[in-house]
Amino acid sequence: MAQITISEEDFRKFREFFYRKTGIQFEETKRYFVDKRLVERIEATHSENFRNYFMMLRFEASGLELQALVNLMTVNETYFFREEYQFKCLVDSMLNDITRRKKDNTPIRIWSIPSSSGEEAYSIVIYLLEYWPGIEKWDVEIISSDIDTDIIARARRGQYTPRSVQHLPSALLKKYFQPQAGGYQLIDDLREAVEFTRVNLMEPADVRAYRKFDVIFCRNLLIYFDDLSRRQAAETFFDALNPGGFVCLGHSESMSRISSLFRVRKFPEAIVYQKPLGDK
Amino acid sequence: MAIVKQQPIQQTSVDERQRSRDLPGLIAELEAEDPAARRWAARDLSEHPSSVLALVGRLKCENDSSVREAILTTLTCLGDKAAVAGLVECLRSEDVALRNEVIEAMKQLPEEVAPIMGELLADTDPDVRIFAVNILESLRHPLVESWLIGVIQNDSHINVCATAVDLLGEVGSSSSREALKSLKSRFPDDPYICFAADLALKRINED
Repeated sequence: MAQITISEEDFRKFREFFYRKTGIQFEETKRYFVDKRLVERIEATHSENFRNYFMMLRFEASGLELQALVNLMTVNETYFFREEYQFKCLVDSMLNDITRRKKDNTPIRIWSIPSSSGEEAYSIVIYLLEYWPGIEKWDVEIISSDIDTDIIARARRGQYTPRSVQHLPSALLKKYFQPQAGGYQLIDDLREAVEFTRVNLMEPADVRAYRKFDVIFCRNLLIYFDDLSRRQAAETFFDALNPGGFVCLGHSESMSRISSLFRVRKFPEAIVYQKPLGDK
Repeated sequence: MAIVKQQPIQQTSVDERQRSRDLPGLIAELEAEDPAARRWAARDLSEHPSSVLALVGRLKCENDSSVREAILTTLTCLGDKAAVAGLVECLRSEDVALRNEVIEAMKQLPEEVAPIMGELLADTDPDVRIFAVNILESLRHPLVESWLIGVIQNDSHINVCATAVDLLGEVGSSSSREALKSLKSRFPDDPYICFAADLALKRINED
């Protein structure tokens, strides 16, 4: 096979298309990263050149190749305090907005999905305990769900590698973890603060009972879904939220590109999506 | 106050339905006063292919955008002939928002929309033909380019051709070259058509 190259025009076309489909925008500085992965998929699919591959990518009915490419173009890694600005937004803006409107003393409910190995849900607990004065006045429930029962079991165990906790301030690492061989063990009080459940977001029977949440964290999951599944997920979140509740997506994801159900809410720390107050 | 552990999620604890979740119950719920009830009925009807007529009927008069979105998602999930026929009916609606939503839904159904694409592109209403080209914009189907070539070769309406030539600028290959050149001769006095055809040809030649 001849050497496959990606021209300027190819890159531009691909970048526009990929953005339309996923909301992920590649800057010029990512050119090497993108080209390398494109060439990898062109070879893997035995396409003759970029043009043939691009046509297949656009028009393949199953969308499987687009999915394979999305997986390759995204880095799936989780760790404590990942995209920390959203946790700041939670404690400095979203929760204050919610408590101002709340008319009863029922707990504030937060849903973190997918749970993966628990770093996000436990980060939320740490953030609330450390940085939200409102925790003195309000009860908070944190539910974290995943489709994968093995990963849920890992989340419940609360054992992490040094890499996973590398962004935690050392004082917090010391306070909430105990060193153990090869890593760290989360303390029991924190492990017990989160309810982990198994949920398939695409299964109406699974999600039907998930209601009355105030905040949903769903970061870097929808990029792996096709358009229809994203819409279904958006509808699930809409029904799971109280009026005025918030959805937090990953930095490369945009609800506006998925559904018109939510309003964009710009806080100083982050842009999040809000269920309109008038909607039940 | 503190972080508190929630009781295990109970499947029935928060179900506030007024009617049963069988087909007649869900169809009746589509007419409920509460939009949340209508939305849930629309979502649950995704398990009932025979609900298409009721869903389309509701879609045409539904004012709540969240319910409309749920109905369209369910019709897309069902995605059978009847669902596609219902969506096509809505393409003729005077409601611009509904038409745009239907176009987006139809883009998700390449295999189901393909058999009727020829019919849509030959519709007597040029607006419907334009909407059909709009659907092609993101329809994952290998015949997209052939359909577009057919449009610029045969359609007499300049706006339909303009929409198609725009898209060919993006997806056209050397197979479109002759049709693009002929298009310019069909509409020699229209500067936009000539500009768009030239741009598409330039992009194809660059490839």
